[in-house]
Amino acid sequence: MPATSRRRALAVLVVPALAAIAAAPAPAQPLSGRLVLYTSQLEADAQGTADAFRARHPGVELEWVRGGTNALIPRLRAEFAAGNPRADVLLIADSLTMETLKAENRLLRWAEAPKGNVPAAHLDPDGFYWGTKLITTGIVRNARAPIPIVSWNDLADPRARGLVTMPSPAVSGAALIHVYAIVQNPALGWDYLERLARNGLSVRGGNGAVMQSVAGGERAFGMIIDYLPIREAAKGAPVQFIFPAEGVSAITEPVAILSGTRNEAAAKAFVAFLLSREGQELAARQGFLPADPGVAPPAGFPDPATIRIMPLDPKRALAEAEAVQRRFAQLTGQ
Amino acid sequence: MARAGPLRLLLLVWVAIVSALPMLRLGLEGVVPSLPGAPPDLAAIVFSDPRVWRALRRTLVVAALGTALSAAIGVAAAVALGLFALPGRRLFAFLFVLPMLIPPQIAALSWIGALGPSSALLNALGLAPPLGTPHPLYSPGGIAALLGVQHAPLVFLPLMAALRRVPAGLVEAARLAGASHPTVLRTIVLPLVTPPLAGSVALAFVAAIGNFGIPALLGIPAGYTVLTVLIWQRLAGLGPSGLSEAALVSLLLAALAAAALWAEARAQARGKRFIASGAAASTRLDPGPWRLPMLALLSAYLATVLALPLAALVSTALVPAAGVQLSATTATLRHFEAVLFVQQNTITAFRNSLALAASAALILVAVALAATRVRLPHAARVMVELPYALPGVCVAVACILVYLRPLPLFGVSLYGSLWLILIAYLARFQALALKPVAGAAARLDPGLEEAARLAGAGPLRRLLTIALPLLAPAAAAAAILVALTALNEITLSILLYASGSQTLGVIVFGLNDGGAVGQAAAVSIVSLVLVLVLMGLASLLARRLPPGTLPWSA
Repeated sequence: MPATSRRRALAVLVVPALAAIAAAPAPAQPLSGRLVLYTSQLEADAQGTADAFRARHPGVELEWVRGGTNALIPRLRAEFAAGNPRADVLLIADSLTMETLKAENRLLRWAEAPKGNVPAAHLDPDGFYWGTKLITTGIVRNARAPIPIVSWNDLADPRARGLVTMPSPAVSGAALIHVYAIVQNPALGWDYLERLARNGLSVRGGNGAVMQSVAGGERAFGMIIDYLPIREAAKGAPVQFIFPAEGVSAITEPVAILSGTRNEAAAKAFVAFLLSREGQELAARQGFLPADPGVAPPAGFPDPATIRIMPLDPKRALAEAEAVQRRFAQLTGQ
Repeated sequence: MARAGPLRLLLLVWVAIVSALPMLRLGLEGVVPSLPGAPPDLAAIVFSDPRVWRALRRTLVVAALGTALSAAIGVAAAVALGLFALPGRRLFAFLFVLPMLIPPQIAALSWIGALGPSSALLNALGLAPPLGTPHPLYSPGGIAALLGVQHAPLVFLPLMAALRRVPAGLVEAARLAGASHPTVLRTIVLPLVTPPLAGSVALAFVAAIGNFGIPALLGIPAGYTVLTVLIWQRLAGLGPSGLSEAALVSLLLAALAAAALWAEARAQARGKRFIASGAAASTRLDPGPWRLPMLALLSAYLATVLALPLAALVSTALVPAAGVQLSATTATLRHFEAVLFVQQNTITAFRNSLALAASAALILVAVALAATRVRLPHAARVMVELPYALPGVCVAVACILVYLRPLPLFGVSLYGSLWLILIAYLARFQALALKPVAGAAARLDPGLEEAARLAGAGPLRRLLTIALPLLAPAAAAAAILVALTALNEITLSILLYASGSQTLGVIVFGLNDGGAVGQAAAVSIVSLVLVLVLMGLASLLARRLPPGTLPWSA
């Protein structure tokens, strides 16, 4: 056969093969690298989240730092100022903090995040952060407490003098949101906070410290996030959680990706995981009310539809933020 | 010495980078706030804030009370164990030093669990106070009491060492001349031990004003803020301007420490030098009829200070959840399992703390030994003292200021890494290693080296055969002291840690802060076991070294 026809025969065989290889989709790369999570979840819960994510994506080395939201964010800001932000993903208490970070262009936008069954009310419409649960702030009561509790006003009762504690808004994001909600509630407002302060309200630490204080008997009543007392009561702690008549404040524990992330693929996988059915079932197993209404809530919670949530105007809260925090700190002698 | 030229230069560079640089940067920040976001009149704002002055007042109150308590306890124990021939004094001395080796946050945690209505121990015994009783330790008295107990060994150790070093010859001569015990004490022992006593009391005061763990765990719930906690809060709460504010308040605290250090320096200057013969210490006095009461008192003190909080800590670690009554059926090892095998952060913290402690000890003792061969200028020695004199919070703030930005050549910032914590440890514990070694070197009779030099021995031979054997006990003690202090510290790492660089102190504080007191207690117990194992190993090693190496094995 002449050389040209041999070459042509080869080309007929080789070119389609090459085309087939080029057209075939590249095999999916398993996720790898380091992912740094800054979270306000309690140690054990953060470990549980990390373990579940690692089981799903074993190639990713997930490191996490935890602290109360309002203690964690300044650390983050110090790292921004140093030009050396270490965090890739944030999983913190409330969306107001996320709004602030979003306004400072610190978050990565992912409009096409797989939202699963999570309702739109939990999510940022612009695609910068995604709420993962529903966590409400109500009242925890020690079983040996002198009076029953039905309403927020019962905490200002003279028989509860010196027996009430709450987390510090300087530490806990949930507590700060709760203060905003009380201030904006016409039935409660600053007058209520002043009555509490006069009644010996103790303000310190985070929700975990409040749980410890009330369960241990140091204080009889505390303002606290819902899952802690419900979970501890199941373990035998002598406490009960009460949804007061006026309603509770709520946060969604949103997750977000920082714009300077060094592992965008893993960060997106983390977000997708938390919003997926698997992630929502994890939340329920850990004792949280999942954002996905299709996942069964953990035992001890009432039907989520019956929970009354106090309205909160986020714009007003952000505008008044500094003034409210300063006034509250002065009121409680911090 | 011509040979010492390059060594001296090397040491000066070391001191400049490790100690002087952060301190000067801190001072600079106080004079000219240069961080973005800091208003120019920051100093006026900070020093006109009544909360700062209130914190200063509170710091002085608890430090003064705590130091007085430390002095009383330390003197009593040193006299009892150093002068008198009590049975079991080795064991007593060992137990007496233990409170110093228990990290302040763990001590506070165990005492919190020993008293108050939430105490698992008291609940198990049915002795818990009623619901809503305020915790007795959440008060200035509680803080002062714990500070006193924590720092008593700081007075006890140097004092007992000084008492042991009272030359046998002098005492014998006095007794032969007919002097009674009180006269011996008054005319020979007292003038010899007063300088070290005054110095150690000053150091105990400085330790008290710089303590973070105890006032944080006990003072924050009571709203009783001292300067160290205020600095931490300012730093944590406000970002860059918080850093400047923290720097200014640190300088205020530094001034306080400087005053105490000046007093200590004056006391040491009056000290007398003695020839170290390496022979056995002076003979001990017979307690006579006072033996049983002394033993009873010592035992009661140790039982209260060690056994009670330890029992409380164990109870807290075994209770499944707060408020549950501890009994044979409810006791669980769940918390131990969690902190040792499940919680990644605690496992990492153990590893980090051990690595940091070992590195710091080895590096600093090497530097200390090198420093005995040269004469460092006074300014260099002050720079070495400064990071130890200042509270750890100040050193941490200083290190953040220097190392926040990426390094010039490498382009990476050390902030948040274990390296920064190591640098902070080196700066802070340098004086801890230098003091015993330099003190031992100062007590060496130059005549020994002179004689060897005249006989023709070179500097290396002199170092190996004369200086090192005599300095080895002090060097070993210094290494162990640095390692144990580094293992237990919290003040530096609480400001410098980030993901992956947590230490044991940070973990215990964080777990307690987050309400996981059972896990905090479990971590505390494991780290205490670690410390005891290290001390045990050190004691085994001490058999190869001359007596008096380890303070607790006199």
